[in-house]
Amino acid sequence: MHIIGVYNIKGGVGKTATAVNLAYLAARQGYRTLIWDLDPQAAATFYFRIQPKVKGSKNKLIAGKVDLDKVVKATDFENLDMLPADFSYRNMDLRLEVAKKPTKQLLSLLRPLSHSYDYVFLDCPPSISLVSENIFRAAEGLLLPMIPTTLSLRTYKQLLDFLEGHRITGLEIMPFFSMVDRRKRMHLDVMESLQASSGELLKAQIPYASDVEKMGIHRMPVEAFAPRSFAASAYQALWMDVQERLR
Amino acid sequence: MALNAISYLLPEGLDLGGLKKILAESNHFSEDAPVTVKQTYYDSFDWRIWQAGGELVHGLDQPNQLCWMDRKKFSVVVCQGVDSTPGFADDIPDGPLADRLTAVLAMRVLLPKVNIIQKKHTLRILDSEEKTVVRVVLEKNRYTAVRGKQKGELEGRVVLKPLKGYEDQFFKFKQQLAALKLRPAEQSLYEDALVGIGQKPGDYSSKLNYRLDPDAPADATARQIMIGLLNTLEANISGTKANLDSEFLHDLRVATRRTRSAMSQIKGVFDPQQLEPFKQGFGWIGKVTGETRDLDVYLLHYPDFRAGLPKVIQDDLDPFHTFLQQHHKKAQAELVKKINSPHFRKTLKAWRSWLQSSPTKSGHAPNASRATAQLADQRISKLYKRVLKNGLAIGPDSPAEQLHDLRKQCKKLRYLMEFFQSLYPKPAIREPIKALKIILDNLGEFQDLEVQAQSLEDFGDQMLKEGAPASSLMAMGILVGQLLEKQVQAREAFVELFAGFSNESNRQAFRKLFGGA
Ligand SMILES: Nc1ncnc2c1ncn2[C@@H]1O[C@H](COP(=O)(O)OP(=O)(O)OP(=O)(O)O)[C@@H](O)[C@H]1O
Ligand SMILES: [Mg+2]
Repeated sequence: MHIIGVYNIKGGVGKTATAVNLAYLAARQGYRTLIWDLDPQAAATFYFRIQPKVKGSKNKLIAGKVDLDKVVKATDFENLDMLPADFSYRNMDLRLEVAKKPTKQLLSLLRPLSHSYDYVFLDCPPSISLVSENIFRAAEGLLLPMIPTTLSLRTYKQLLDFLEGHRITGLEIMPFFSMVDRRKRMHLDVMESLQASSGELLKAQIPYASDVEKMGIHRMPVEAFAPRSFAASAYQALWMDVQERLR
Repeated sequence: MALNAISYLLPEGLDLGGLKKILAESNHFSEDAPVTVKQTYYDSFDWRIWQAGGELVHGLDQPNQLCWMDRKKFSVVVCQGVDSTPGFADDIPDGPLADRLTAVLAMRVLLPKVNIIQKKHTLRILDSEEKTVVRVVLEKNRYTAVRGKQKGELEGRVVLKPLKGYEDQFFKFKQQLAALKLRPAEQSLYEDALVGIGQKPGDYSSKLNYRLDPDAPADATARQIMIGLLNTLEANISGTKANLDSEFLHDLRVATRRTRSAMSQIKGVFDPQQLEPFKQGFGWIGKVTGETRDLDVYLLHYPDFRAGLPKVIQDDLDPFHTFLQQHHKKAQAELVKKINSPHFRKTLKAWRSWLQSSPTKSGHAPNASRATAQLADQRISKLYKRVLKNGLAIGPDSPAEQLHDLRKQCKKLRYLMEFFQSLYPKPAIREPIKALKIILDNLGEFQDLEVQAQSLEDFGDQMLKEGAPASSLMAMGILVGQLLEKQVQAREAFVELFAGFSNESNRQAFRKLFGGA
């Protein structure tokens, strides 16, 4: 089971769009795939038309207390299941703090599912918290969508510092550019400067595209309603890069 | 709780279109565009997947997907992507399905059994968020034979597919379908299609499974047994010629050997003069099929041979593998020529027509009209006595020949018990057959290892002439040493195993079943 986190300290950079589209592509390839919406905003859950509620989840999302398999919902797409968001995630940090191994809870929760899924995508809320640390420790790869601005570069460095400071090693960091607007001078400049300096950067880029915004209207992955669009092929290229990197 | 899909058949007077209309009245659904898919079902020649409770289908939902279905629950157990048409289990990419297939198929190859052309029309039942909560697939199915022109329509089906996390909606819908008098299908689609092409799963098995009439005259019974063996032999001819897998030739040879054994051991039922040319004919078949089978055996053992060597010299054995493959190719070509020869064909044809002709009364067949059960008792107990006597006469220093002879007698005894097993109470007859099998395995090992060690030396000589590297010959030398060592162990085990076989309780069991000593 490959666990892939989609993360950025910053909000609104295309994390959810990435998690939803890549999970869809993995499932379509025949991989048994799970997407876990860890954000109380429940955007990913909304995209799959699922009601954001985890049965009996009050105060219980701690390993050993809840069987994740029981709260999994099938999406409309073959091979793709979802762990929907829950409003109680708002208090997740607090609950993790009282757990025994607070930074490894997510991994222990996922372990029983390891034979049921080939890929698990974690759609993470923005910010750095105990939840994020759990994600870093559970995941094999971390996808980092970045809007090409100088500010993003700074938050990227921040993250690397955090990982180093917490001795989180062995996590495959995969930054890539998201919401790229080639008409913007700054985007081009930032991309050029980072491309030269960072070997970790994935080649694929996700352009700023109205088809991605339309996911909110269609409530499904881009590929499912606009398979021939520019955005759809960008996500395909991204997914190929990710698979290559995790091989 | 994992729910399974349910397959329904429509009641009289309702078709798929009609059902859709009714469902539209009380459900909110959206329709996927109909798609047509081709599915091919696979199994080994002897139906090992089926016997293991499965169905193996290629192209179930996606063209390159191979899925194992539970044939009682009609549910998918495990799927795996494959990049070529299924063949040997070893060639399927690693994964849970490959593991399962390896265990079930062993050396047998997968063969296509039947195709199903399926036109599916999926209705997705939606909730208030337009989220799919149940899938209903309306299926129109046709079958086509893999070879030949047979094809036809199958009854339409409605498949109800649950979605994880939406169990309540699934149950509600199930009630709806029940109220419309749809009934769950009792047979899988595969079974329907097999009926269509006139095949019965499990219709071939190399196991002996006769239903004999104890009061029938012995000559009629002997013919019945021999016709069964001839059918088995002939069923394996085309697979042997095409060398689909090694088991075709093996089964063909076993049927040959059993036929010869039946000729000599079901004594006095036919005129020996009439039988003589057939004895020779089957002797010839046994002979001309031998070399290919021997090479098959070495090729099957090869992975174990290799793995048994120290890691550092395993690669040295590779030229031996090449040697085996080359010689196998030659032997196989030779074998095909023999099978295609008029002599082969005429032998089988004459044998069948002789078996089917009305028995000619002959003074040289004293047992011809004796009751089957009586003759079976007599022959088995007589042979058993001989096996006992000869086996007990073998001590630690007896020559190998004595064990080889005993093996032949044990084989004959085993065949007789298997031919006639339906005449005896079922659980009781299994015990002596099992007991005998233990002895046979031991004697077989003793003899085969010796033969193998000898052949390996001969192969080594040949390879030397063909310019094989010294390292290969050394590796083979080590192998020979290992084989001979195992052979010694088999020899040492014999006396004790035979003591077990001949103990009082086993003797009593034999006496009780077959009478006599
Ligand atoms: N490539 C893109 N082109 C255009 N719009 C995009 C693109 N990617 C995302 N968006 C839009 O930007 C908004 C934020 O995207 P998304 O929810 O994927 O980001 P996020 O990082 O998950 O945000 P949050 O931090 O709030 O979880 C959404 O309205 C989405 O439709
Ligand atoms: Mg988000």
